[in-house]
Amino acid sequence: MSGICRARLTEERKQWRKDHPYGFYARPTKTPNGLDLMNWEVGIPGKLGTPWEGGTYKIIMSFPEDYPSKPPKCKFTPPLFHPNVYPSGTVCLSILNEEEAWKPAITIKQILLGIQDLLNDPNPESPAQSDAYMLFKKDRKEYEMKIRRQAKENAQQ
Amino acid sequence: MSRTSHIQRVLEQPTFNKVTQCRVLLVGAGGIGCELLKNLVLSGFRSIELIARDSALKFNPDVEIIAHHANIKDSQFNVEWFQRFDIVMNALDNLEARRHVNFMCLAANVPLIESGTEGYLGQVTVIKKDLTECYDCQPKPTRKTYAVCTIRSTPSSPIHCIVWAKSYLFSQLFGEPEDEPLDNEMNNDNAEEIQILKKETELLKEIKLTMGSQEYAEKVFKKVFTDDIERLLTMEDMWKERRPPVPLAYNDMNRVSSNGENGLDHNDDMNTLKDQRMWTFEENFNVFVDRSDLNISKSLWRTKHRDYSINRISRRLLEEQEINPVAVLTFDKDDDDALDFVTATANLRAKVFGIEQKSRFQVKAMAGNIIPAIATTNATIAGIIVVQAFNILKNRLEDCKTTYLDGFRRPCLLINESLNGPNPSCSQCRVNYYILRINTKKATLKDFLEKILNSSHEQGLIYGDEITVERGASIIYDIEFDEKLDSTFEQLEITDGVFIKVTPDDANQLPAVFSIFHRETFDTQDTWYEIEGGISEARVSHIVASNQNTETESGTTLKRKLESTDMDLDEQPSTSCKKMELDPEYIITVEDSIIMTEDGPKSVITLD
Repeated sequence: MSGICRARLTEERKQWRKDHPYGFYARPTKTPNGLDLMNWEVGIPGKLGTPWEGGTYKIIMSFPEDYPSKPPKCKFTPPLFHPNVYPSGTVCLSILNEEEAWKPAITIKQILLGIQDLLNDPNPESPAQSDAYMLFKKDRKEYEMKIRRQAKENAQQ
Repeated sequence: MSRTSHIQRVLEQPTFNKVTQCRVLLVGAGGIGCELLKNLVLSGFRSIELIARDSALKFNPDVEIIAHHANIKDSQFNVEWFQRFDIVMNALDNLEARRHVNFMCLAANVPLIESGTEGYLGQVTVIKKDLTECYDCQPKPTRKTYAVCTIRSTPSSPIHCIVWAKSYLFSQLFGEPEDEPLDNEMNNDNAEEIQILKKETELLKEIKLTMGSQEYAEKVFKKVFTDDIERLLTMEDMWKERRPPVPLAYNDMNRVSSNGENGLDHNDDMNTLKDQRMWTFEENFNVFVDRSDLNISKSLWRTKHRDYSINRISRRLLEEQEINPVAVLTFDKDDDDALDFVTATANLRAKVFGIEQKSRFQVKAMAGNIIPAIATTNATIAGIIVVQAFNILKNRLEDCKTTYLDGFRRPCLLINESLNGPNPSCSQCRVNYYILRINTKKATLKDFLEKILNSSHEQGLIYGDEITVERGASIIYDIEFDEKLDSTFEQLEITDGVFIKVTPDDANQLPAVFSIFHRETFDTQDTWYEIEGGISEARVSHIVASNQNTETESGTTLKRKLESTDMDLDEQPSTSCKKMELDPEYIITVEDSIIMTEDGPKSVITLD
């Protein structure tokens, strides 16, 4: 049991309760034993004025025992059509990669804002699924139409 | 003359008496632990409890040694159990257990001597709640993990290839079927990676069905070194700034190595140990596949090289599966076939990505996370631990040091630093620890919040309404979650030894950790719970720590001393020892394994 990990997550929850960006939500998952700090349910809204607008994309964030030394895993559920999202839903983003830009000081809020940026600004240099990547490269119009359809499917009820 | 008469004279009678009465807990019986146990016995300690996962010892009939075959994290070793000891000594080999013992010693307010070695390096330090830094006051480097993308798509160093061979390929072919994360090095993503492309999974399944057949090695080879690499190459942007991989062609390899001579010369480099010699490209290939059409005789080849790794492992797995259909193999660095397989496939992958290759010996160390141990380092560290134990028993915490041993830093092998005070923002030791004895069958979470924690209640502690209450990794109460208020402790699975953490929203207030113990009857009728411990001005009914006064005193001295010396050794660990202001009393030179101090026998450990 790592008390450091949980102390940090308690603090993150406290900070999020006090202040969080509009349209986002983030909360520990409810279980029969209470709220599970190690697994959070998160919603990220698509930015206005982009094909992602109107959708709120659900992510399960799982924190490893050695968080914040190591980054959380962010997984879109259901998996998202996006060049940098693995077919399983896992997000491939530099700030979530221990070997690249992850730093223990990065907050949950910063991660979620980072993922929101990534939605309409994919990084073609580290593709994670070939379908979205190929369409993004070859037929941008068709790609955007597909994104808009996806936004409608993910509209918040 | 008794065995302890020398030590008795060195320590003087009052301290020696404390030594004989001291109850020691020794956690771990590895390199340091075994050495330390011997030192303790020879130094006159008579009551030692030892916890080790896989060894128990009979030592000396005069000394009471209780050996527990157990994991220190087992729930039987709760706060009350830790409180029985005067000193706890860690001789552990992993971060998790060290953190756990650190936490338990803070909660039980027992001094802890923490130690570790790695090759020629070693260190010892003393941890005492509220007076020194605890193990977690400074962030610790954690074991490196690698991002999935790095392992699967864009490796750039030998370790990436080794992790791929060991945690991905080996597990995929011989390990747990899908979805089971096999190695925490892959951080749960291993399973996920299996699903990366559904087609790929299907293909792999198909290949796995042919295990044991003639074409198996060829199929696996083509899949992982040809087809998968070609698929990666189609993602052109990935290779804009990286060197693109070069797929290997099975037939080319086959042709090259079938002529029997190429790369199969065992007589080269006779001066290099077999395992330390770098395999040639063709050897890697041959070790991976079954070269049944090889020109040389199979038996000769096998004795020299333990060849044919993939087919030998497959055969073993199939044999085991005949007995147990769900049998799987896990990578073991001491399994020659598995190590051959991992070495060969890691090196072939390294070739594909233009990465440096590694010898079988190097792969063993990297894949097995082997940390070299040197007996002399362990012995030196175990000796210093006993010296620190004497300081603690003399109630002279201010004499305790953090000692670093660096076998490369001759002639000044040992560096001593004064102990630092606690890090004010440490989430482990800047906490008020309590023991709460209560009827867990009757008391509810609401009782706890309103009557025990809340200062508006007459007997209550100092915690207000704006708090978060956690049990393990679960929040059981906060301002937005009050569903559990009417549950009893028992219903919330809060039983003997379980910890509850209370974090006030007010960042200026320290959090509290309660160790809960079930109790049904109390001394007086009106009492329904009992609280021990805490460090702030909380009103408590019983206070532990019989020697609290003396400790507070030494604590003040210690703090003053820390302020006045204020050496910044931490920030410049690489400064040469000449520049450091060292306390000459504590410079111990180690030459030819004889420990001496410049100050005579005062801190020498005499061993008969």
